[in-house]
Amino acid sequence: MRDRPYDRGLGGLVLGLTARRWVGLAAVLLGLAAAALLHGRLAAPPIYDGIIVPPAPYRYESPPPNLRNGNQPPLSGEATLPAPGGDVAGGGVQTDDQQVITFWGPGTLKAPPGATSVKCTITPVANPPPPPAGVEIRGNVYAINCVGQPGNGKVTLTSTFHLTMRIPPGTVNDIRYWDGQSWQNLTTLFAPGGDPYASVNAPGFGDYAAMARTGSSNGTGGFFSGLSRYLEFYGILAFVVIFGVIAIIQEIRRRRARTLRK
Amino acid sequence: MIAARLAAPRRAALLTGLVLAAAVLRALLLPLGDAFSTAIFAACLLGITWAGASTQVGERVLKRRNAAIAGVAVGVLLLIPVMTGPMSRRPLGDFWSWAAIAAMVATLEETAIRGALYRSWLAESGPLAAIGIGAVVFALIHLPRYGLTAMPLDLAVGFALGGLRAVTGRVMPCAIAHTIADWGAWFWA
Repeated sequence: MRDRPYDRGLGGLVLGLTARRWVGLAAVLLGLAAAALLHGRLAAPPIYDGIIVPPAPYRYESPPPNLRNGNQPPLSGEATLPAPGGDVAGGGVQTDDQQVITFWGPGTLKAPPGATSVKCTITPVANPPPPPAGVEIRGNVYAINCVGQPGNGKVTLTSTFHLTMRIPPGTVNDIRYWDGQSWQNLTTLFAPGGDPYASVNAPGFGDYAAMARTGSSNGTGGFFSGLSRYLEFYGILAFVVIFGVIAIIQEIRRRRARTLRK
Repeated sequence: MIAARLAAPRRAALLTGLVLAAAVLRALLLPLGDAFSTAIFAACLLGITWAGASTQVGERVLKRRNAAIAGVAVGVLLLIPVMTGPMSRRPLGDFWSWAAIAAMVATLEETAIRGALYRSWLAESGPLAAIGIGAVVFALIHLPRYGLTAMPLDLAVGFALGGLRAVTGRVMPCAIAHTIADWGAWFWA
């Protein structure tokens, strides 16, 4: 039994395959082929560790001064939903950067007479209505609307629809709805585990925005914000160093024990 | 010899149970934070690797350099389907600390599953069982985070990594392939 490097290299691998290596090679090829076929067809894990990949930076319509460099403009979204007989069977639309996602249940949208489909859009608003006193808008304001096709006729909502918004770094208290006259508070559910998303049952077409009380953290500065970032960074670094050192010591001891046995 | 063969499945089954228990513990601790639960999980994997290090099996091992090349090749092949998607534009400045953690967890998963667990099952039941059980365990430990829909993909990747272990006789190329596949997620997922 040999446990030192097999000195014929890759050529030896091809010419001198053992049964174990044949099984291994078959598993590699089978696994790679299956992985290639399954990617994109299923909800694929981005990584195989179960750790969180930080989301891409929030795209601001009007970024805070310290985030202006490197900011990407937010994207809009559009979808056309068939409306046979005036009823939309359901569906959703999301912005291309996935900062806003909406879903309409069956029968929630009623197309105008003569329309065969409904076009729904989500658009970042460049000049939003001012927030109420004591409250600030956090992130972007998005306009959500649906019109009948052809003719751009008015679409009627028969009930609320589901709206999920990505929230920017910092405090957010709720998502609000501009009904054309004032901002309405909505009961807001925040995603667990620190995921930067919040959801509401949206009551109508119009503008939606995440808001926070004036003076709460906007996630872009402050002593405690800076301190927590340092703690997080050095905590992670310590975590890597400690486990790295333990792994190296373990490997050295294992090799030493193996040498002694020989 | 007979005693060793009889003892092996118990040991292999025990190690399998320990790896699965570590994953369950991680899922239970998740509400306390991703970093904390991952740290505990990493510590468990390290302990399992330690516990399984004494199992010896005769394996032909590929030269270190060639094994590393095989690891890089499998990692890149795993990454190609991900690279067909749009780039994520995540900042490179934040990549390094995340990449170090991803590499460490990937390496520990490999030393536990393709190291200790693989050796134990190989000693008793042969390479097919070692690769297959390793792949199933690999898919199961990621179940709490990714859900059932991701299991077939995790199973396929587990087979590829187990096969790589059997071909090269080393854990290192599996850790390299796993790490490369993980790192790509920063840029494409």
